[in-house]
Amino acid sequence: MTSRPILLVEDNPDDVALTLRALKKNNILNPINVASDGAEALTFLFDGDDTQAREPGLILLDLKLPKVDGLEVLRRIKAGKRTSLIPVVILTSSKLEEDILSGYRNGANAYVRKPVNFAEFAEAIKTLGLFWLLLNEPVPE
Amino acid sequence: MAQPPVEDIAVSRDWASARLFSAIVNSSDDAIVGESLDGMITSWNPAAEGMYGYAAAEIIGRPAAVLCALCGEGEGQETLARIGRGEHVPHYETYRRRKDGTDFPASVTVSPIRDEAGRLIGASTITRDVTEQVHARTAAEVVHRADDLRRANGSLESFTYSVSHDLRAPLRAMSGFSTALLEEYGDVLGEDGRGYAGRIVVASEHMAALIDNLLRLSRLSRTEMQLDPVDLGAEAAQIAAELQDEDPGRRTRFTIQRPVQVQADRALMRMVLHNLLGNAWKFTSGRDDALIEFGTAAADDAPVCYYVRDNGAGFDPAYTHKLFSPFQRLHPASEFPGTGIGLAIVRLIVERHGGRVWAEGAVGAGAAFYFTLAEEKST
Repeated sequence: MTSRPILLVEDNPDDVALTLRALKKNNILNPINVASDGAEALTFLFDGDDTQAREPGLILLDLKLPKVDGLEVLRRIKAGKRTSLIPVVILTSSKLEEDILSGYRNGANAYVRKPVNFAEFAEAIKTLGLFWLLLNEPVPE
Repeated sequence: MAQPPVEDIAVSRDWASARLFSAIVNSSDDAIVGESLDGMITSWNPAAEGMYGYAAAEIIGRPAAVLCALCGEGEGQETLARIGRGEHVPHYETYRRRKDGTDFPASVTVSPIRDEAGRLIGASTITRDVTEQVHARTAAEVVHRADDLRRANGSLESFTYSVSHDLRAPLRAMSGFSTALLEEYGDVLGEDGRGYAGRIVVASEHMAALIDNLLRLSRLSRTEMQLDPVDLGAEAAQIAAELQDEDPGRRTRFTIQRPVQVQADRALMRMVLHNLLGNAWKFTSGRDDALIEFGTAAADDAPVCYYVRDNGAGFDPAYTHKLFSPFQRLHPASEFPGTGIGLAIVRLIVERHGGRVWAEGAVGAGAAFYFTLAEEKST
């Protein structure tokens, strides 16, 4: 159960590298798939071969993405029959009230603002990983 | 054969045309008013009665100036002077006054009237009530301005978004990879190298704090204010208690006047007091006999002013003008931490309340910050 993959939707390669490093430092060893824009995330989720192995246990989603933005990706995930129950954590730089609100309105399971300080960032990733991949009981398959 | 007298034909033709003219004047929707050269009303059509509210019998023979809302400002004299020179005054917009004292916007044309010999004998004024046109024009202007404002706010909104999102990402990379260097290559870097990487981490965090404060400032200037009765003394006392809780080891005396009742936005006034008392707390940190006061005093331009005074580090009065600008700091960060946004926030909030803020101080002799508020209900 805990080895289900994480889908990281993030266009900034620096943030990808830092997120991967934070996961590794915190011994979160689940396989990680990276989609570098919204369209790629949707292709990964909806157009791949329909096997459980690809189904992420957690989606970390940036909001400001090229091609298809994060909110649209979120709407499509929550509208998809197969994907609607996957926990989606919005992981973004923005703490605009409008963004937070539309995140929750579109069915986000959590909203986390990326801290600038790496120690705090790593702590946030650790907490998220522990909660969603270990502590939280997922939807039965 | 007797010829009919030429004059008679002319008279009857004149009479017929006079009747025709009179019918035109009487059926006009515009007020058509004749006046003599000395400014007395000589004729008055039904539209004039409807527009101004005077019957012909009560207004004829009275000065035309009673109809003129702006005559006190020289409008009448100038028109009369032009008519005196025989000029036609093409239509212009002004205000006219009704019998009941109310004014309305009007479009006015004034023409000289001459007798048969060409002598100037008076003036005729044609007046049209343009209230509806003016309303339509004003409404269009309001819509136009609202559009402008919406556009400006929209671009401010997207600017705010870019600032909060785009500027933070590189900072996170700077902090993150410097930390990675420290953690993974710390022994290769040596002591100096670790120090430099550490400075990058600290600087990127500082800049993140600056960006956040700038965003707060921009949001503060846009949030709507809600005015309620607020006891500034009670708020100050609560903030003082919070400051003491955070650092129970410190011996600082607070003198707080209560109650100090004002009409203001509570959350914003708390922010003002929090910044001023927080500053006083910060700049008295080196003193054993620290004293921080909140109270009211007399002011030149308001019934009363409010002050926060301390006996701390103070500041050089030569730099007073810089105190309230964003990111201005008069003390090195190593001595007193901060981003330099607090007093800019204070000024913004006080000015939004229609007041002003000023400071007095000297190096080593403490500082006092004063502010006034437009909504005054002090007890």
